[in-house]
Amino acid sequence: MASSLASKRLFQEYRTLTKDPPDGVTAGPVNEDDMFVWEALIEGPGGTPFEGGIFPAELKFPKDYPLMPPTMKFTCDIWHPNVYPNGVVCISILHPPGDDPNHYEQASERWSPIQSVEKILLSVMSMLAEPNDESPANVDASRMWRERRPEFERRVREDVRRGLGL
Amino acid sequence: MAEQTLNIPQLLAVLVVGFLAIRWYFFSAPSASGQQHARHHPPGRSVNPAHVDQLTQMFPQLDRRSVMWDLQRNGGNVAATTERVLAGRGLDAPPPSFQPPTPPSRISAPGTQPSKPIHPDLITRYNLSAKILPPTPPSSSNDNPTTTTTAATSSGARGSEASWSANRNERQALLQRRRDEMILAARRKMEERDRERGKVA
Repeated sequence: MASSLASKRLFQEYRTLTKDPPDGVTAGPVNEDDMFVWEALIEGPGGTPFEGGIFPAELKFPKDYPLMPPTMKFTCDIWHPNVYPNGVVCISILHPPGDDPNHYEQASERWSPIQSVEKILLSVMSMLAEPNDESPANVDASRMWRERRPEFERRVREDVRRGLGL
Repeated sequence: MAEQTLNIPQLLAVLVVGFLAIRWYFFSAPSASGQQHARHHPPGRSVNPAHVDQLTQMFPQLDRRSVMWDLQRNGGNVAATTERVLAGRGLDAPPPSFQPPTPPSRISAPGTQPSKPIHPDLITRYNLSAKILPPTPPSSSNDNPTTTTTAATSSGARGSEASWSANRNERQALLQRRRDEMILAARRKMEERDRERGKVA
């Protein structure tokens, strides 16, 4: 029962995202037989080293969505302080509801059923533009971003080009 | 003369290096590699990076450093750390002085991280090589000619009604087309920018 509710909600979000897609985002279920696995493409935001890039990611939704947030994992090489080397994205909107035991994040920034896939994807886009240095997921990338910005940007640009097969 | 200036750590280092050299020279059978690998992670001394990966995959919200700190303190007990997180107690923030031991591979090459591309590029992945348009001839103006057909499809996909279909298979095809078009458009744009840059340089 709960999972059919989740499917319904996901289907509805799919429809909204398709009819009125935000700029630079394409997302939908990999296969409609399973509404709980989505694939998304995110465009790198302009004015950043990620500009011009297309970043594919996989979203996996729990059966009790939207009570609990999905997980999001980039399926490409992406060098970013808030993305684990295995591609898992670490941002507050993907964290379960409630207060952060470490008090880094406001409860309002975290996941709640009023959020949506679209909001997640837009948050991830702005994360690409503005890494959060406070809780790095990729310590090496974070250090490079902080201390050797030109090298960081060069590396990101290389990944962007390689991703497009250039 | 030289022996007098050798202190004990140096002597030990020489012995260890000598031992390894001899061992490598005489016993470089395939079985030795496994043992050498095991020596990188003696139990209890340092945190096994595989365990850290495992935990951070399970709980993406956790900070890698806190996981290492917790594992370090409980002697590398993954189950204990898992239980702690599941119980909602959270992990203690490691003290600023805690320097997580980095895996040996990273130490060996600090500047050039092992950046071997593990993912295929998008063109290969979605099988788009056939759809890549030949580069626009330099004589023509960049904007219109070759892109008319694709521009038409993309504007069609952008149109609010055309993108959604009541038919499930059609929907799937539309989504795929939007996805392909997004990738190809990004590639075209990048190539165009390359050409611009080429002209300037």
